[in-house]
Amino acid sequence: MTAAATSGSSTGLPREDRLFDELFAAASEGERGPVSGAEVYERRGSVLSLSEDEDGLRVEESIERGFAVRLFHSGRVGFAASGPSEAPGLVRRARGLLPRSRARRGARPASPLAGEPQGLSPLPPPPGPDEARADDLRTAFRRALAEAGHGTVVVREMTVTVGQRRERIATTSGRAASWGTGAASLVATVVGRGPTGRFSARVLATASAPERIPIARLARLAADRVLLPTQGRQAPSGRFDLLVDPHVAAHLLGRLASLFFGDSEEALLDARTRGGRDPFAATVLTLADAPGAPGGPVDTARDGEGTPQGRTVLVADGRLAARLTDVAAAARAGVPPSGNAVRRSWTEPPAIGVTNFHVDPAGGVSPLDLLGRVSRGVYAAVLLERPDVDLQADRFRAVTAGWAVERGRASAKLSGIVLEGRLSEFLRSISALGDDLKFVAGAGGGVGSPTLLVPRWKLP
Amino acid sequence: MDDLLEDAEDAVRLVRGTLRRGETGEVLRERRRTLSWTATEAGLGSVHAATEGGTAIRIRRSRELLLVARSGAGPEALREVLRGAARRTGGSPFLKAPRPSRAEESSARGEEARDEETAALLSAALSHAFHDPRGLSVSLVVRRVSTARAVISSRAAVPCGMSERLEATGTLSRPGGRRPFSFQSSRRGADAFEALSAALAEAARPRTVLPPPSGPLDVVLSPAASAVFWHEAVGHMLEADGVSGGGSVLARVVGAAVAPPGIDVWDEPSRDDLPGAYAYDDEGTLAEAVPLVEDGVVRGLLTDRRSAGAESNGHGRAADWREAPRTRMSNLVVRPGAATADDLLERCGEGLVVHAVSAGAADPESGRFYLVVEEAQLVRRSRAGPNVSRFVLSGDVLAALSGLDPERGDTAAPGTGLSICVKGSSALAVGGAAPSVLVRGLVARGAPQ
Repeated sequence: MTAAATSGSSTGLPREDRLFDELFAAASEGERGPVSGAEVYERRGSVLSLSEDEDGLRVEESIERGFAVRLFHSGRVGFAASGPSEAPGLVRRARGLLPRSRARRGARPASPLAGEPQGLSPLPPPPGPDEARADDLRTAFRRALAEAGHGTVVVREMTVTVGQRRERIATTSGRAASWGTGAASLVATVVGRGPTGRFSARVLATASAPERIPIARLARLAADRVLLPTQGRQAPSGRFDLLVDPHVAAHLLGRLASLFFGDSEEALLDARTRGGRDPFAATVLTLADAPGAPGGPVDTARDGEGTPQGRTVLVADGRLAARLTDVAAAARAGVPPSGNAVRRSWTEPPAIGVTNFHVDPAGGVSPLDLLGRVSRGVYAAVLLERPDVDLQADRFRAVTAGWAVERGRASAKLSGIVLEGRLSEFLRSISALGDDLKFVAGAGGGVGSPTLLVPRWKLP
Repeated sequence: MDDLLEDAEDAVRLVRGTLRRGETGEVLRERRRTLSWTATEAGLGSVHAATEGGTAIRIRRSRELLLVARSGAGPEALREVLRGAARRTGGSPFLKAPRPSRAEESSARGEEARDEETAALLSAALSHAFHDPRGLSVSLVVRRVSTARAVISSRAAVPCGMSERLEATGTLSRPGGRRPFSFQSSRRGADAFEALSAALAEAARPRTVLPPPSGPLDVVLSPAASAVFWHEAVGHMLEADGVSGGGSVLARVVGAAVAPPGIDVWDEPSRDDLPGAYAYDDEGTLAEAVPLVEDGVVRGLLTDRRSAGAESNGHGRAADWREAPRTRMSNLVVRPGAATADDLLERCGEGLVVHAVSAGAADPESGRFYLVVEEAQLVRRSRAGPNVSRFVLSGDVLAALSGLDPERGDTAAPGTGLSICVKGSSALAVGGAAPSVLVRGLVARGAPQ
């Protein structure tokens, strides 16, 4: 493929708009030398942040543009990235790095998939972020927090960020694609004043658009996060039926995501399942990754290698089913790529990551039904610290707060509910799911779960 | 990297023309080069290079701040941010086209030779650290980051200097457990790689471990662990942002004695042997050493222009050009005492000695903090005994400071494990140097066993 074939004639365009084609032409020339394939990538992004704290309001507007080149030869990859001003030297830089990289089987530029739509248009600047919508979000969160915290919880600091980006990619193997995505986030530090002191907590929600941020849920979570530790009594020890809120379960199960990144953890998965003879989890558990999953914060059409994305079932009815792959991992496994090559930034090469990694709630029942099944138990509602998960040692620990449950009803508030033990045992002990799938930001994308019921779990 | 101020005179004039009555502000220019390797116990893997530049203007008016940022660190990017700012503030400064800037084609050959040398040093460091990799599985990302910054105000253009650091993050696994690893050093050349090699070798050493004890304990913190303790328990509590809303438990008691006499804690941006060093902060203010605790008494706060206006003590720092500066620490330095390690174990009697902490956090409102301990030994009859597995150490800042033993170690060693500090979502390099201390009554609770 030639540069002209990717985007048509570029004469007459401003210098920065010609860079992509010039880079592609320079990278393609390398095919005649010690380079067997090339990929050129461009990203344009605009971000607007509105932040408020006790010291006032901050408005931050940022517009950027970056280019990246990957050259491939015999399993080696040379990657170089820069802004527009230094982009003309990128092919030379990547070529210099190529021999220093260790060869890895499968590394190659992406080819178009069968039936994949092709098209590469010049990359226009992304539309400006919707500032009015961002401002509405700030107001809405304050209002929702006042309601959820009954006036005892205040915002100490809040940042709403909205952004848009456009990307395009061309490879010497024939892939040519451009696409756009949006993102929004709300991060707040809230302070609660209770009878036993003051607590602050930081909460975060991300979404593909500002209107999809679950404001009311985030406000309830923020209020619980700072009030429960000051109001609840210490959790009892012993065996209890455990109801795990989606927020807690998502953070905990989200830590499993890296097990499914290509072939990097095959030995560990083999050990956990005795070479596939044992189930990975209870039969009620199906784990999947899907951009655009309902409520998921990631809604993208293509991954960082330009591969169209879809739903990948990783664990089906408790048994290992598939892995998340980029082009290289898919080539090693002999399967089509799943579209999980994530570029965290244009300055980094794509690496395998999640879109919306979640527990499939199909077959789940209402959380109230699950509550009704608990005669003597504990409802772990909010995380008080980041859960500690050691996949190698198969152990986890999460400090939470919530409620005691007696005869299907929440009774006393509890703080310091410690969930800990063998992770594999926890996964195999899940007996029922809710139908209330909810996502949080995690694992570099979104992680989600419905409410989980784990009978007779031992609390320390 | 040194051409950030080639148009200094012009740039100052433009910034002066942009700011209006009642406004203060400045422009930050940044250029950053990163060379990253992936590495395993078998040696180096892939290598990536990235260069990025950015320009941002920050304009303060009353209690509001506007930041407009664009890619590029040259004259054209400056004009773009000024146009963007004018569009937002309603002004329309007259911006002539910039003079053609010097060709930015990098001195590629010199850089490639340097990359080659760095790769050789890193490769040697890894093979020295993992000379016997049996049973060990390593996944690391090692980065050499070079950053140059300059600040242009309405009066002057100030070079903030160029910093270089070596960072490594990842995991080391042996059957039965995986431990996180983080490292950074601002030492130059081979010294940084030798320090990395030593840290990796220590982290990779196989250990037999016992479960940690639970409950209140007397804890000796090694210099490396102590640096993280002071950073979390004192440093963050005395950053000035948020003070108008009540501030942290320490900011509320400025002037009060909270620690034993003789305890001095300073934030010292001028310590260029530590990773948080700078001459001017990211708002162009000359960086000052600030006493936070003197003779056990809370003295001062770290400030930036937003919290202290022209009285800023030079602690306005931004992770990169896209972000507005916030009040942040640089290098937190605690003055050493006269005790030896054995003296502190003797005074501890029964408890723990902590050698490495991988993470920590503090809640300024409640004063609670916690440290994730990666390496520690039980102390029995004033002697360091068996290793214990990973656990969480928590406490209350005021209680911990009042529970400090007045004796402290005779050496304030740089805390190599004190790596990147994340506040909000903004991550930047910080440093610390502290002596061993003995803290009574911290609470240990087990992490996954």
